[in-house]
Formats: sequence, C-alpha cells, structure tokens
Amino acid sequence: MTFTRVLLGIAGLAAASYGGWLLADFDAERLRELGVWFVAGPVLHDGVLAPIVVVSGVLAARLVPRRARTAVMGVAVVLGSLTLMAVPVLGRFGEKSGDPTLLDRDYTAGWLVFAAVVVSVAALDVGLRGRRSDGRSRRPAR
Amino acid sequence: MLPREKDFRSRLRGAQVTARVGVWLGLCFWIAFVTGVFSHYAQESTGATWLPTRPVSLYRVTQSVHVLVGTACVPLLLVKLWSVYPRLFARPDVRRLRATTVHLLERVSILALITSAIFELATGLANVTQWYPWSFGFRPSHYAVGWVATGALALHVAVKLPVVRSALGSDVDAAEPRTGSPAAGSAPAISRRNLLRATWIAAGTAVVAAAGSTVPWLSRVSVFAVRTGDGPQGVPINGTAAAAGVRKQIDDPSFRLVVDGPARRVELSRRDLERMRQHEADLPIACVEGWSAVGRWSGVRVRDLLALVGAPPDSRVKVRSLQRGRRRFDLPPQFAADPLTLLALGLDGEPLSEDHGYPCRIIAPGRPGVTQTKWVKRLEVVG
Repeated sequence: MTFTRVLLGIAGLAAASYGGWLLADFDAERLRELGVWFVAGPVLHDGVLAPIVVVSGVLAARLVPRRARTAVMGVAVVLGSLTLMAVPVLGRFGEKSGDPTLLDRDYTAGWLVFAAVVVSVAALDVGLRGRRSDGRSRRPAR
Repeated sequence: MLPREKDFRSRLRGAQVTARVGVWLGLCFWIAFVTGVFSHYAQESTGATWLPTRPVSLYRVTQSVHVLVGTACVPLLLVKLWSVYPRLFARPDVRRLRATTVHLLERVSILALITSAIFELATGLANVTQWYPWSFGFRPSHYAVGWVATGALALHVAVKLPVVRSALGSDVDAAEPRTGSPAAGSAPAISRRNLLRATWIAAGTAVVAAAGSTVPWLSRVSVFAVRTGDGPQGVPINGTAAAAGVRKQIDDPSFRLVVDGPARRVELSRRDLERMRQHEADLPIACVEGWSAVGRWSGVRVRDLLALVGAPPDSRVKVRSLQRGRRRFDLPPQFAADPLTLLALGLDGEPLSEDHGYPCRIIAPGRPGVTQTKWVKRLEVVG
C-alpha cells in the first residue's frame, strides 16, 4: 500500500504541476480574473452555503418532528443540490436572442414540477413511516 | 468567534459517509478528466490525425459522458464537502512542529483540490448554457484546471488511502470511534444509510434532469436540459447565420465553392454540387457543450471533390468558411477519405437551412461539432 500511495502522490504532484504550468501561459489580466474565480469558490461555499446548511440542520433538528427528519433531509439534499445545479438554466444567462434551440424550455415550470414531485415523495414517505410505526407499539418519548 | 471542530455534533457526518461519497466523486472526476482530455485533443485546429472515424457516435458518447458525470458531481461534491466541513476548523497543535507542518501541507493540497473542483463544475455548468461571465477563455482554463484538480485528487487519495480503506470496511452507521461522541445510546433520527441514499438519488436525478440534451427519449423528463434536442430540420443549432454575419453571402447567386488541389482548381456553384453524385449519411452532430442529435445528411462525398482536383482521398484539407474570425479546423486525411464524410447540401430531405450551413457544410463521423464547419466557401488540399 505504501508503494501505491507514494506512486499516486508523485503522479498527483506531477499532474497538478502540469496544470499550474499551463496556467502560467495566461496573461496577468486573465490570471487576476482566474484568481478571483479560484477564491470565490471556497469562500462562497465555506462562508455562505455551508453555514446556511449547518444552521438549517440545527434548526431542523429542533423544529421538525423526529419521524419527518429523514424526509426533510432528503428534500434538502435532492432539491437543494439540483436547484444549485440548475442556476444557469433557471437564470437563462446564456440566452441568445438569435438561437431558438438554446435554453428552449420553461425551466421555472420544470423546477416547480420537480419540487412538487420531490416534496410529494417525501410526504408520502413520512405518511408511510407513520402508519408503519403506528402498527407497532409506540416507543416511549425521549 | 469561529466554531471549533468539536462543536459540530451531527452524527450523520463520519468517515464512512465521506469515503463512500468520495469514491463515487473521485470516479466521476476521473471519467470527466479522461473524456475531457480526449475532447481537448479531438478539437485541435489542425484536425486530430489520431482520431478514429468509427464508431460514428464516438464523440457523441464521450462528450455526453463528460458533461453528465460532471453534472452528477454537483450533489456528490456538496455532500462530500458538508461531511468534512468541521475539519475546516481543526487547529493543529503548534507546539508540535512536524505535525503542524504536515497539517499545513495537507491543507494546501486540499485547498487546491476544492478550489479546482468547484471551478471545474461552475465553469462547466455555465459553459453548457453558453454563459461566459469571464474573459479568460473556457477551453484553456477548464483544461488547465482539470489537470490541477486531477493531480490534487490523486494526491488526496494517496494521503487518505488508509482512512478510506478502514471507513469502507466498517458499517455505514457504526459509531465513530472518536472521543466525546455525543448522545451514544439513542438512535439518531436520520441514518447515514439514508443520507447516502438521498445523495445517490440526487446524483442520478441530476443526470436524468440534464440528459435530455443528448438522449432523445429523456427529453420530456429532463426539466433542466439546456436543449430539447429539437431545431430546424429536427437538429439544434449552435450559432445562427445572422450571428455569424453570413446571410448576405449565402444568398448571393454568384456563390462558388472553390476546391483547390494539386492538379487544378475548380469553382462549383450550388447547382453544380447538386448535379454531382449524391450520398446520404445518418450522422450525429455532437457539441462540446454536451448536446447531440442525429440528422440524415445528404450531399457530395469530400473524396469525390478531392478526385475532381486530382488529390488522393487521404489528403489533409483546409476548410474555409464564409464566417470570419472563427477558429478553423482542417479535415485530417482519415476523415477526408471516409465515405461518410460529406460536403452536405441537405438535411432531413430538404436543402440545408441557413442556420445549418446553407449552401454547404462539412459533416464527418465521430468528430466534435465545432469542427463540422458550416457555410463552407473553400476546400484547399494541403498534403
């Protein structure tokens, strides 16, 4: 395993250095802009998105009934990540008036349908879980 | 003011989750890297002499896979980063110099990995919608940072391999063998198993929601697909004749295609081309943005045009378009010689629409869409 790890580490360093060397071809102005993009990623994730998710998690653990928490987590993971992924199509930022075949759907309507499906599936899951646990003897409250 | 690592109490986090999501994320990044390097070299301006002409949907498949695994990475990366978020607040014991140095080195490698991974996904997702909120050029930057991401990933795997192996070997919902594990005894409301299930569902759904651009039968349910796959004559377009500034020239009745070869040079009107022997080919147009569609193209074989000017079929051909200021792509010998490579005059049983390249365009099997030059005005044999 040590041999594999060393080999993988060296290959990784080499590949990353090659990428860095390719980046050295950019002029100063482009590099500055690339730098902004590089910094923005981790800053927006670690400083904005992750704290929102963590705080929401803490709140959900207090406010959401125990049997619905799995469903709420599922909605957060599926709907949250797909909404983030869909930002470029929802915002239609790349839209060109001349090209009717680009961004040729109603993404807002698509999002609403998608969200409705995800929430319905989650609600169904909560309902089924409730019925299942009603059948058994109730656990004592914590 | 900042929290400490031990302030994060959720038992949903754990190496078992991180390792399992990480394996899939690493696999997806690796596939995206391999298909990405392939795509990069397949669109060299001189034409890729190494690129095979079969299967005809080679680039369609590799580039769809590239874009779709990248799409699947969005939920995977988010859950992965969430699962290790508390580590951001870990502080090394500064009294132990060696441990601190190792800690800092690892931090640097992880910063490179996270930075490049987010950059690749963000620029990739923007590029497929033709949204370019930057000036640094998508292709060179996405390519260079792809190498950084892949290298940093390999380094990360090398460092973490023992942790990954032990985490994969233990049950997902087993308690973390760490000190101060809170509330041991009571069952957590959410199991890690269910978190992983939600993650796989999110990744799979992301793929289905985007795949309609390239998988026709998914088009109806692909609510976030950039294209429905429909367009003039049943095929989408990437750049109109108006945007290319060629509308006046393509309607000019004096238009002549120039074919320049070693023995002679001929000028052919669209009528002349229509009088030559016509062939049909069902070929996909597959763009670097990950959309594709198969069309029934008709027109003249490029090798027949080469024969007109006394050039052997396996010649390198410089292709010039009426459109100015665009990257030019040569037709390498293996494509010029291929019987499926057409100078297309029609699509779907009709003359080419102006946005598909009227009066004539190149369509060859298995090449990136960007190399399938539209509004061709000149073919020049260069070797």
